[in-house]
Amino acid sequence: MGAGWNGFLVCCGICGDSCNDGHCALLEIPEQVKKSDAETKLVICLAMVEAVNLKKTYLLGKVPVNAIRGVNLNVASGDFLAILGPSGSGKSTLLNLIGALDKPTEGKLLIEGVDISTLNDNQLTDIRRRVGFVFQFFNLIPRFTARENVELSMSIADHDKTERRKRAEDLLETVGLKDRMNHKPAELSGGEQQRVAIARALANNPRFLLMDEPTGNIDSKTANEIMSLVRGLNQEKGVTTIMVTHDQRLAAQSRRTILMLDGLIVQETVN
Amino acid sequence: MKTRDILAYSFSAIKLRKLRAGLTTLGVVIGIAAIVALLSISQGLQSTITAQLERGLATDTLLVTAGGGGGAGMGFGGGGDSGFKLFVSDVQTIKGIQNVEVAAAIIQRVGNLTVGGRSEISTIVGVDFAEYQDIYGETFVADRGTIPLDSRNDSVVLGRRVIDPRLNGTMLADANDPISIVWINATSRPPTAVTLPTNITGILKQIGSFGIGGPSDSGVYIPIAQAQALFATNECDLIIVKLRSSDQAVIDDVTNAIKSAFNGEVSAISATAVLNIISNVFSIIELFLGGIAAISLVVAGVGIMNIMIVSLMERTREIGILKALGTKSRTVLLIFLCEAVIIGFMGGAIGVGLGWVLANVVALVFRGGGGFMGNQAARGTFEMTITPVLTPTVFLGALAFGVGVSVIFAIYPAWRASKLKPVDALRYE
Repeated sequence: MGAGWNGFLVCCGICGDSCNDGHCALLEIPEQVKKSDAETKLVICLAMVEAVNLKKTYLLGKVPVNAIRGVNLNVASGDFLAILGPSGSGKSTLLNLIGALDKPTEGKLLIEGVDISTLNDNQLTDIRRRVGFVFQFFNLIPRFTARENVELSMSIADHDKTERRKRAEDLLETVGLKDRMNHKPAELSGGEQQRVAIARALANNPRFLLMDEPTGNIDSKTANEIMSLVRGLNQEKGVTTIMVTHDQRLAAQSRRTILMLDGLIVQETVN
Repeated sequence: MKTRDILAYSFSAIKLRKLRAGLTTLGVVIGIAAIVALLSISQGLQSTITAQLERGLATDTLLVTAGGGGGAGMGFGGGGDSGFKLFVSDVQTIKGIQNVEVAAAIIQRVGNLTVGGRSEISTIVGVDFAEYQDIYGETFVADRGTIPLDSRNDSVVLGRRVIDPRLNGTMLADANDPISIVWINATSRPPTAVTLPTNITGILKQIGSFGIGGPSDSGVYIPIAQAQALFATNECDLIIVKLRSSDQAVIDDVTNAIKSAFNGEVSAISATAVLNIISNVFSIIELFLGGIAAISLVVAGVGIMNIMIVSLMERTREIGILKALGTKSRTVLLIFLCEAVIIGFMGGAIGVGLGWVLANVVALVFRGGGGFMGNQAARGTFEMTITPVLTPTVFLGALAFGVGVSVIFAIYPAWRASKLKPVDALRYE
């Protein structure tokens, strides 16, 4: 609990002792719901991701590669973070760790307060369902139509067929693909495929959206459209977004940018 | 993922590679079809033979042959190592045993028969007509001419097929027509041919069935005394004993009495025992045939495994996507196993159908007789109609076996798919 706070402060409790790190929001409690005069402010922990001395080493053939060498990072709810860096700087590895696709070698990585390094395979799966992943190469299933691709992530999360269909159609409408939803990926342009991927990523109401070079494989005009779509989702729907890119101009469209080099965060800028 | 969604997902993966899935399924189809065809034919054959034996071998008869040392079944063909011989006169000893109604000695030789201008190899059976008719009253019945019960030495009674090989009414000869039987005595030095020219006395009505010792459509019957003279022997090959009752106790009593009367040098086998032996033999044959067919299914299983591993490589990225979207490892395993179940089930279902058709085609060819089996063989054996039998056990068993083999061979690829790490799988090119 944050220093200097006493009385009836309420915290979501997921970040434990690290509430004083400054990523908690203070809210005035309205008079009507106050239980006593001492209870004036409410602390809400907004930490979505918290990395403490995070390290990841993997083997490339037989050579160990220190992809991440001690990263400390906080991402608050509703944030839009861009991870910038040259290839090999460990930015994708960091994103994969946040998305629970991989486990850290050392250090702590809290996703909504849960340290994923302690989780087993099944529990990691549950985390993945709360994350929306968007990849550089779209990674759609070629034999499924746009709608079926969006539905797939919901069927994985055990949603009902009718519910799935309705939501897939709504989401595709949101990303501007209402009249293309019965097309297969091969019949869609790169930009359209990435929109499908974004719709798929949003299907299970994820707590955050992770994007690995989302515009790396599409032309700049379409890339701008995708970026404004993502910004809109972040601003209007409050979807916490973490985007990996090596494009300075794209990174500048985020709220906060960290620069990674050789597995370490070397610079942090607020845009 | 819900079961229905897993099934739908697996099915969509199979549909994508129709030719490959089709060929994989074909492997299962062939394996299952072979099993079903072989089993239903052999079961059909067994029930046909059993039914015919039940008609041909009355359950109240015993067959006595020389050579008691061995167990039941060894007795056929006679001639044990002890050199013990059964003589025609031994019938009297057996007739004296309690509960024996009648006994008939049989001498059998292979001879050459010339009738209606045709010469054929036939089995010549010497038997007392009156006693034989006592035992086989339903089958040893004349259709044309008569069966003289006074054992006139020159009488010859023919089975239907001897005179009408195709059983279509085209008779080579009729009662009272001349016939000549030639037997080569190979024991004399030099071998001599013994000829018996005579006339056909009677022709049996068509029997259809066959039985060891009982009358047959392809038999040539002469009186026992004539046979003794012709073949220059007093030994007999077989004594058929008719009991007063078909109770198991009576059968056992008489069997033991006969054995002790000949100091254990003979074997007496009841029709029931013969049926049991045949049933046992068929069980072994079925197991053997089923085993051979099962090998082809195992080959199909290896094919499934092969295809699944290829499919796994091709779909590594897809598995990565599924896992990144939050699919549990167990679900990935199930998706792959489900594909095997679908292939196994389709292959099994088609295989059972195809096997059944195959069995019926084979049965039809058999029934067509002559053309397939060849004239000689058809004449030499008996008329046989196989109706393939597809029991629910074979049906369900084959289906389950098809699915089971598919699943067993898919376990390894499916397990490997489920163990893929999402990061590695997504990076896979």
